Amino acid sequence: MARRGGLGGFWNEERKLSLQVFLSNKPAVVGLVIVLIYIADALIVQFAPWLLGLKNPYALTPNYINPIPQPPSWKYPLGTTYPGVNLLTAIIKAIRVDLGLSVAVVLPGAGLGIVIGIIATYIGGWVDDLLMRITDIFFSVPYLVLAIAVGYVLGRDITSMIIALIIVWWPLYARYTRSVTLQVRELTFIEAARAAGASNAKIMFRHILPNALPPVLVQMSMDLGTVMLVISALAFIGFLPVSNFPELGYLTTLGLNYINTAPWTILFPGIVIVIFAVSVYLLGMGLMDVINPRRRSSL
Amino acid sequence: MYYIPTLIGLTVMVFAILHAGGPYKLIAPYINPRLSGPARQEQIQMLIQKFHLNQPIYVQYFYWLWALLHGNLGYTTTPIFSGPATEALAIFFPNTAVLAIFAGVLMWIIGIPLGTWSAVRKDKPDDVAIRVFSYTLYGMPIYLLAVVLIIIFAVYLKLLPISGVVNPELTVGLSWYVNGISYPTHVLIIDAIIHGDWKLALNAFEHLILPAFTLALAAMAGVINILRASMIEVLDQDYVRFARSKGLPEGVVTKKHARPTAMFPVYTNFAYTVAGMLSGVVVVESVFDYPGIGYWLTQSMLGNDMGGIMAGTLIFGLIFVTTSLALDILFAIKDPRIRLG
Repeated sequence: MARRGGLGGFWNEERKLSLQVFLSNKPAVVGLVIVLIYIADALIVQFAPWLLGLKNPYALTPNYINPIPQPPSWKYPLGTTYPGVNLLTAIIKAIRVDLGLSVAVVLPGAGLGIVIGIIATYIGGWVDDLLMRITDIFFSVPYLVLAIAVGYVLGRDITSMIIALIIVWWPLYARYTRSVTLQVRELTFIEAARAAGASNAKIMFRHILPNALPPVLVQMSMDLGTVMLVISALAFIGFLPVSNFPELGYLTTLGLNYINTAPWTILFPGIVIVIFAVSVYLLGMGLMDVINPRRRSSL
Repeated sequence: MYYIPTLIGLTVMVFAILHAGGPYKLIAPYINPRLSGPARQEQIQMLIQKFHLNQPIYVQYFYWLWALLHGNLGYTTTPIFSGPATEALAIFFPNTAVLAIFAGVLMWIIGIPLGTWSAVRKDKPDDVAIRVFSYTLYGMPIYLLAVVLIIIFAVYLKLLPISGVVNPELTVGLSWYVNGISYPTHVLIIDAIIHGDWKLALNAFEHLILPAFTLALAAMAGVINILRASMIEVLDQDYVRFARSKGLPEGVVTKKHARPTAMFPVYTNFAYTVAGMLSGVVVVESVFDYPGIGYWLTQSMLGNDMGGIMAGTLIFGLIFVTTSLALDILFAIKDPRIRLG
């Protein structure tokens, strides 16, 4: 990206314009604020649980004296779920787990996909064909089913869930990176770099990658929400043989037997996921505006 | 047309997953737990011989593929069905097919008008309402959607049953409904019609509504968003303006002129919709205890039942590859650029 003069330093014209474009999209700003709240929650529970007065930050605290779900009250603002778990603290703890898991899936998945996608475009020919056929094969099995199959082989636990979802997720990024880099590859400056004698690796990672990265990063931010949905769905159908694990999908299953009398046990953990997924989507739309030249020039 | 290579790749992938756990994981379900000591070792050796697990891995693949092509998918042991996996498929697949097709039709007849309406009324209050609705659907885990629909329609309004396929009181003493499996098509609603039991068919249909609606709503968000975006672009084009300036009524302009063009992105993305739906089937069927392959697959997962998981993975892959092939052909026929060119 060409740097125009102006203020200099970090807040140059380029960055100011990006910020302006982003701030003009109100839903995206709301999304960003909510995502930041979730991240803050996760960081506080991880590093300073005493700030929120959590005694047992990495597991649910059951209360078998009164295991039946209680409706929301002053003592339990969001009520309790079976077995006597305070839903508010449970959700605060669960946000850390869900956010952490979804970052742990998206980052390596995207990294792997980006590298493979760039290799596919740049080398082209039969390597490209082969890699794309491989992604086709991974696409052909629904992600939930593939995750179950991988989970069977590795044994169902949290590590294998992450590995299974990475295996499911990288083809998406490989495809996406390929479609973006294909356009970049044909540009004149790549030809210039080649004429100047740059090596293949240098062209791929120094010249093509930085230009393909922004759209892929937007996709990654949006996927944080999608992956959280998949993780909670897997936990919901019983992929993780755990108990007292603060995870939003698992939290939902705790209240399932009380669906007739205690709908809050299901609604509150669910709403937390919906809010995150929608915020991340809105944030992604805002970021997409930022990297979209048409939108930039309209300001 | 990458149908055949993708299918071969699919079998290779399932085979690789199946064998990644080593030979002992494969034969574990067949070992008699009462045997111990040398007799147990002898049985292990016999099983390894029998399943050709001492051969090179590519030879094993061809043995496995051979068995697969002869309809031998191994055995499955789950609370809802025990026996050959092919028999389980014959029982569960028709149910899933009925559910998915019903959901697909619902999605189409609700999603397409909503998407069109949303684009025509761009930025008006009803468009905003539709967008909030579709964003919420997009961000909703499918199990939550299912449970919310259950809470609304089954718990509070008491209009529809919570789960299962039929009210068990109605099936007492039926000769064609044994152990939760109906004959001859295994789909209760069709079998009831075949046997002329309309009361039972109606009851089975009531049980089908909520799962189908859940699946339809979950898949709808994507269709609405894609159609809205492409419709807005198309509505701005010269030929649409021309149609309007000719004095055609607005309804004809949007439905007859703009929408057919705006539908193409929906068609090309339809394979993703189907993929999302197939993942949704797994969750929806297990929430509603609906006896389809998704429910069978989750039961296999919970019981670490290899036969069920592998047959389920294969059949889901096969369904997806076949539908996307069929869709490709269908939409190629619909696309005038391909049909006429």
